[in-house]
Amino acid sequence: MKKSEQRDLFPGALEMMILRTVKRQPLHGYALVQHIKRASNDLLQIEEGSLYPALQRLLKDGLLKAEWGVSATNRRVRTYKITAAGEKHLEREVTSFEKMLDGISRVLVPVKS
Amino acid sequence: MNWLKRIFSRERLYGDLSDEIREHLDEKVEELIANGMPEHEARLAARREFGNVLAISERGREVWQFPAIESFFTDLRFGLRQLRKNPAFSAVAILTLAFGIGTNTTVFSWISAVLLNPLPGATHPERVVALEELAPDGESKRTSYLDGRDFRDYLKQIDSMTIAREMAFAVGSDTVIERVWGELVSGNYFDVLGVQPEAGRFFSIAERDDAPNAHPVVVISHPYWTSHYHSDLSAIGANIRINRRTFTIIGVAPENFHGSMPGETFDIWAPATMLGQVNSGSDWMLQDRKTRMFRALARLAPGVRIEQARVEVQAFAHRMAVADADTNEGMSATLFPMWQAHHGIQMSLLGPLSVLMSVCGLLLLIVCANVANLLLARATSRQKEFSVRMALGAPRSRLVRQVLTETLLLAIAGAGFGLLTAIWLSDSLRWLVPGTGIPSLARPPIDVRVLLFTVALALGVAVLTGLVPALQAGRENVNEMLKDRSRSGTSSARTRRLRGLLVVAEVALAVITLVGAGLFVKSFHLARGIHPGFDPNNVAVAHVSFSAAGYNLQQADSFSQRLQEQLAREPGVTAVGYSDFVPLSIGGDSWEDLEVQGYVPGASENMKIYRTVVAPGYFSMMKIPLLSGRDFNLQDDKTHTPIQPVMIVNQEFVRRFISTGDAIGRKVHGWGAWFTVVGVVQDIKYFRVNEAPIPYFYVPARQIYRPEDGATFYVRTGGAVEQAMIALRREAQALDPAVPVFNVSSLNDSIAGSLFGQKIAASLLSVLAGASLLLACIGLYGVMAYSVAQRTNEIGIRVTLGAQPADILKTVASDGLIFTLAGLVLGSIAAMVATRMISSMLVSVSPADPVVYAAVTAITIFIAMAATAIPAYRALRVDPMVALRYE
Repeated sequence: MKKSEQRDLFPGALEMMILRTVKRQPLHGYALVQHIKRASNDLLQIEEGSLYPALQRLLKDGLLKAEWGVSATNRRVRTYKITAAGEKHLEREVTSFEKMLDGISRVLVPVKS
Repeated sequence: MNWLKRIFSRERLYGDLSDEIREHLDEKVEELIANGMPEHEARLAARREFGNVLAISERGREVWQFPAIESFFTDLRFGLRQLRKNPAFSAVAILTLAFGIGTNTTVFSWISAVLLNPLPGATHPERVVALEELAPDGESKRTSYLDGRDFRDYLKQIDSMTIAREMAFAVGSDTVIERVWGELVSGNYFDVLGVQPEAGRFFSIAERDDAPNAHPVVVISHPYWTSHYHSDLSAIGANIRINRRTFTIIGVAPENFHGSMPGETFDIWAPATMLGQVNSGSDWMLQDRKTRMFRALARLAPGVRIEQARVEVQAFAHRMAVADADTNEGMSATLFPMWQAHHGIQMSLLGPLSVLMSVCGLLLLIVCANVANLLLARATSRQKEFSVRMALGAPRSRLVRQVLTETLLLAIAGAGFGLLTAIWLSDSLRWLVPGTGIPSLARPPIDVRVLLFTVALALGVAVLTGLVPALQAGRENVNEMLKDRSRSGTSSARTRRLRGLLVVAEVALAVITLVGAGLFVKSFHLARGIHPGFDPNNVAVAHVSFSAAGYNLQQADSFSQRLQEQLAREPGVTAVGYSDFVPLSIGGDSWEDLEVQGYVPGASENMKIYRTVVAPGYFSMMKIPLLSGRDFNLQDDKTHTPIQPVMIVNQEFVRRFISTGDAIGRKVHGWGAWFTVVGVVQDIKYFRVNEAPIPYFYVPARQIYRPEDGATFYVRTGGAVEQAMIALRREAQALDPAVPVFNVSSLNDSIAGSLFGQKIAASLLSVLAGASLLLACIGLYGVMAYSVAQRTNEIGIRVTLGAQPADILKTVASDGLIFTLAGLVLGSIAAMVATRMISSMLVSVSPADPVVYAAVTAITIFIAMAATAIPAYRALRVDPMVALRYE
């Protein structure tokens, strides 16, 4: 169960990563999770399944849209695309995340002696 | 309607989600196999990486739901199924809850009718308050017509004020007379209460002046309109004969309105200025400030709080006490909310109803503990179910909600049945009120307030019963539970301890109710044994109304003399008498301001002394000993010259006011004349059996005549009281059919009213306490039976190892005994504290009465042992071979 506690660094982080990934290129769930794992150098321990509730939330809020299709490997897949609202949301989230990160790192800078 | 669309398209969304997850797993497995992993290992790895499929799908689906509501409905459906699956458990739980909630709702409906909603039909009744005058010693008095008018005219914090006086009218022709209770009211009565006529009109501005006997009009109640005029509009304008005078009906009050006395119903309202017309022509009372015969009701001015208005009322009363010093010296006045008003049944019911409500509350707690106990027992057998749900990823909060939903279902079902009981019992408020003298009581309605109370009760009960079992749910370690397949429903030590605690609490609560009931039973028993100072056995009484017949002093006197003579001739009759008040009955608080020669009253001493008007022979008929001097005789009247007003006083009167010298011959001033004391009689109990001696005096019927009080005739007989009662009614009717005779009963019955509160408290509390004990013992039995069943194995081993039946009995019964004793000790301590609040309602019994506590202890132990005996007997019969196999 420890793994799942590590999973979400903070609420909304997973959503942000999904939006960012899908913005670059529409993907289906499996590819999406593999990409995030790979891109994070496997530093982020993500329970693969946890992706799906997050995808459902994004769908419901209209930030993503989904379409069934057939993949290159001839597999039936549901591909997610970012919507205009999703792009705007991502921009906002990233800005506020960067601000937060900036704030945190300023505090964490070693004290000059 | 986005969310609506969502609900309908949800099936597809869910389908998409499961397809997607399946595809995901397949793809993963395929990839792993491609990387060289064996298939079954690949499947396991894929699942491990993915996480809990069921939980994740549910979380995914929840995105589209309104989880709080939908999971509630799921819980509800599941709960209903659970309850249907265990009909015996459900029936027991629901019936117990119905009993607990039903008693509470019933008592609350009484409280609601008498105390919370004392003026049904009135607009903003919470703004209506009672204005009461206060005697120098703080005793609450009514107001006089003149005082009332001054209060009405000068008080600024009061929007409007009305006065009312209840009265029994004789309605009908000279031969067919019906007794109807009504009120004499000031013209603005309906305006002050904010009532609109159902038909016709209320008193007009012209009918509201002070002109005596000028407006022979009445308003009738809706029930009277229905029963006597078939709700026909022709009733408006019709004539009605009241006390031999003709009145015109001008209007009908709305259906829910029944007058200005809480809990009592009236059928006729006439202007107070018509007092002379309904009272044999005498209306001097309206001009006398000392005749405080009216209740006053005031509507507070907008935005004014009762405390503010009270200050003004007090200040104004003090000014009146100076300005009208001859009549109002030392008097004050104040305001009370209607439920605290002193004139009406609410005052006598406030105490009993509070006690009843508290005991019902205790009973409900026992019921909750009992049901909680049942739920805990069941929770043990449901542990598997909970463990499985937890293993599938259900959070513990969800299990807690499930249990609470189920108790809510039980509580709602219980409340439904309880409400039915309350509706069925709503007529029962009559039990609480003695039947004599008071106009019939309105049937308390099951209104919104009562419904809300019941709903709140059901919610409270659901939480109370469900909380402990709910928190227990899912406490157990899932792995342990799932592994432990061998034993069928073990219960943890924790659950056992909880159940034991619940049983102890139940016994303690039952002990409190038992002590309360015991105290009231003993109090009633002792009160009944108190000698009232007169002999109430073998006496028939009947009340006649002279004012209804329009009699003056001469007519009343001649009627009374002739009736006495007729009755004296009846076989078996040994003595006859009459007076205007029956001691220890309801009402009759007539008093007079006295001045005793040679006695200087203290600064705040109340010289308003209670009195009774009696005929010669009254004392010997009542067997009240005459200590010195003489009885009244027929020459004590207003015709024999020189007219010498006389009175007889009681011992306490002498002790208080005539400390030196001879009482006989002492002059006492009252009614504007000097009376001579001609006799001293022994004290009797006048108002309550447990009262301290009060100064009291008697005046002869031929000198002081009050037609509005009528007269009560007494017949002491050597034969059957019933025969004497029949003779009383027959002879009175034979003399003059126009004189209404009512309240024919035995003297014993008519003084029973003074013990009525005691009797009701004793009997109702006994029933409730019995039920509490029974419930507590059912709880005890449940726990004991369960524990024996659990320990069958252990007992088997013990028997095999050579334990004797006595040892087994000791092991099993000691648990029950410990629970019982713990409950007894805790309950007794709590009872000691709680019963202090009722000490003022007890007659000659201390709240710490050792006999009561001893009796309660004995009863509780006896019943508790009976509850333990059956399981213990079962334990003894355990066959070791069977027990050892009992796995």
